[in-house]
Amino acid sequence: MSEKKMARSFYEASARERALGLVDPGTFTEFLGPRDRMVSPHLPVLGEAVEFDDGIVTGIGKLGKRPVFVISQEGRFNGGSVGEVSGAKMVGTFRAALAAYKELKQRHTEDFDEVRPVIAVSFETGGVRLHEANAGLLAHAEVMDQIQDAKGKVPVVALIGSKVGCFGGMGFVAAAMDVVIMSIRGRLGLTGPEAIEQEMGKEEFDAADKSLVYRTTGGEHKYILGDCNVLVEDSLDAFREALAVAAALPYEELASWNRIGSPEKVREQIELVKLAAELNPADSRDVWRYFGNERADEYQDMTTEEFLAAAKRREGAVGR
Amino acid sequence: MTESLVGRGREAIDMIVDGGSFAENQVGEQSFDADFGPGAVVGTAAVNGKCITVLANDAEAINPRFPVVYFGVIGMEEAYKMAQAVYASMEADREKPLREKHPLLLLVDTPGNGPGKVEEIFGMNKATGAYQLALAEARKAGHPILAVVIGRAISGAFLCHGLQADQILALPKEYGTMIHVMPITSISRITKLDVELLEELSQSNPVFAAGADFFYRLGGVEELIESPEAMRTAVLAHIEEIYQKKESGHSEELGPWGRGRLGEARGGRTARAAALAKLQEEYEAVAENYL
Repeated sequence: MSEKKMARSFYEASARERALGLVDPGTFTEFLGPRDRMVSPHLPVLGEAVEFDDGIVTGIGKLGKRPVFVISQEGRFNGGSVGEVSGAKMVGTFRAALAAYKELKQRHTEDFDEVRPVIAVSFETGGVRLHEANAGLLAHAEVMDQIQDAKGKVPVVALIGSKVGCFGGMGFVAAAMDVVIMSIRGRLGLTGPEAIEQEMGKEEFDAADKSLVYRTTGGEHKYILGDCNVLVEDSLDAFREALAVAAALPYEELASWNRIGSPEKVREQIELVKLAAELNPADSRDVWRYFGNERADEYQDMTTEEFLAAAKRREGAVGR
Repeated sequence: MTESLVGRGREAIDMIVDGGSFAENQVGEQSFDADFGPGAVVGTAAVNGKCITVLANDAEAINPRFPVVYFGVIGMEEAYKMAQAVYASMEADREKPLREKHPLLLLVDTPGNGPGKVEEIFGMNKATGAYQLALAEARKAGHPILAVVIGRAISGAFLCHGLQADQILALPKEYGTMIHVMPITSISRITKLDVELLEELSQSNPVFAAGADFFYRLGGVEELIESPEAMRTAVLAHIEEIYQKKESGHSEELGPWGRGRLGEARGGRTARAAALAKLQEEYEAVAENYL
C-alpha cells in the first residue's frame, strides 16, 4: 500500500485500506485474509456471491511499540453485515489480543503500559447479516462477551466514519467500547432511519431527510452528547493519530471515557433519559441548544475545525 | 390445548417462583420507582426457598414518557432499569462465595428495542449495551444467569435480554414462542431474495429460519422445555447445572462462548469454529514479531 493511498479520506477508504492505514506502515499482518478463502457457507445456498474475506479485514499491526489488533468492516459487501464467519473473525481477533495481553504482562513487568495492546474496530455495518441472521445474532452476543473480557486489560476503540455508518446490533457493540472516535461523516445508532420510518411512520422519522439523519446519528451530535469521545477530520491519518493518542493514555483514564459499563455510568445515563423525557426533542438541535449551543443551526455547514471550536458538550462528556 | 404465554410475563413469574414470594421493584439494597421503566419487571423472589433476581417484560405496560415502548418493548428506561437490577444483585453478593451468589432469571417476551427518534437522539444503543455489559459482568462474577424464552425473543431485544445468559431455555413453538431477527417476508424484502426460496431453505438450514427448534440446532438454545408446567423444574435443574459448571471451572461451556461450542457440537454452526481455529493459528505464527 503506497503512502499516497494512506492519506486518503477515511470515508472513501475500503476496509483493507482502513486496516492498513490505522497502523504504522509495513506492520500489518492480516488474519484469515482472502488467500484463506474462509467464506460464508450460507450465501451460496441462497445463490449469493461470497467474498474471500467475508467482508471483514482482521489482523495485527503496530503503533510504535504497541501491538494493535485491527478489525475493519467492508460496507461494500452486504452492507458490512456480520455473519457466522465474519463474526468469528471479530471474536478470534479479540481472543488473540487477550492472549497477547497475557504474554506481554508477563514479559514487561516494568513498562507494560508502553506495550499494552489495543483493539481497534473500524465499523461499517448495519449489524446482523440477514442471509444468515441467526448465526449473525449469536455472533453479536459473543463480541459483547469479549468486550467484557477485555475490560481492565486491553483498551477497545471504535472508529466510525465510513459510508454505511454503524447500526443495528453493532451500534451497541460500539457504544460498549472504551473509546469512540468519529468524523462528522460518521453515523452511529441502533435502529436505522429507514427502519424507524417503516415501523413508526414518516411523521416520526423522514429517512429521506439526510440532514435530519446526520443531526440524529452523526458525529457532531454524538460528540456534543458525549457518545463520541474524539471527533476528527475525515482522513485515515487523523483517525490513526487519534487512535495512537487514546492508546497511549494511562489505562485508568482511558477506561473512564466509557459511557456505560458501571453502576455510576448507568446512573449518569438515566439522568440523560430523564432529560429526554423532559425535552422530548423533535430534533437534535433542541438538545444542542439545551447544552448551550446557541449557533446550533449553523453547525451542519461548518468544517470539523470550526465545529470543534464552537461546540459546547454535555457536562460529563469525556474525551479530547 | 396448548396455551401460549406470549404477553403474560407476570403470570410466568408466578408459575416458576414460590407462591407469593415475588417482591417487585426491590433488588438487594436498591428500590425502583414503580413508574420507572414500566415495560420491565424487576424484583426478587424465592425458588424452592432460594433467593433469585427476576427480570421480565410487561406486555401490558405502556411508558407514558416514551410512546414507542409498549407490548413488551425494551426502551431506554427499561434497559437501564434492568442493568441496575443486575448491578444491585452483584453488589448484594460481592463478598459471598460462588454458591451464595444468587441467580438471575430472565423471562424473555419482547418484540424489540425502542425504535424512535428520541431513542436515537439520546442513544438507545447505550441502554441496551449497558444491560448486556451488566449481565456479562455478573455472569463472569459467578452469578448463574438463566434465560427462559416464554414468548417473543426478537433480534436486538433478545441480544439485550437473553443472549448474555449462561444458558437459555425455551418453550417450543407450539406455545407461540418466536425467536428470530425478522420474519422471512421482511428478510426477503430487504435482501431481495425470493420468499419461496427462503421458506424452502429454512426447512433445512437453521441459520435463517425462525424458531426455538432452529436456535437449538445452532446452540443458541440449551434445551426446549416441554410445557409451561415444566418450567419450574427445568429452571431449578439448570441453575444447579450452571452452579456446578462454574464451581468445576467449566465456564467455557456457558454464556455466548458456550453456545458457540454447542452450535458446533450440534452441527448447526461449524464455520465459526473453523474460522476461530485458523485465526488463532495464524496469530500464533506471527505473534513473536509483535510481542
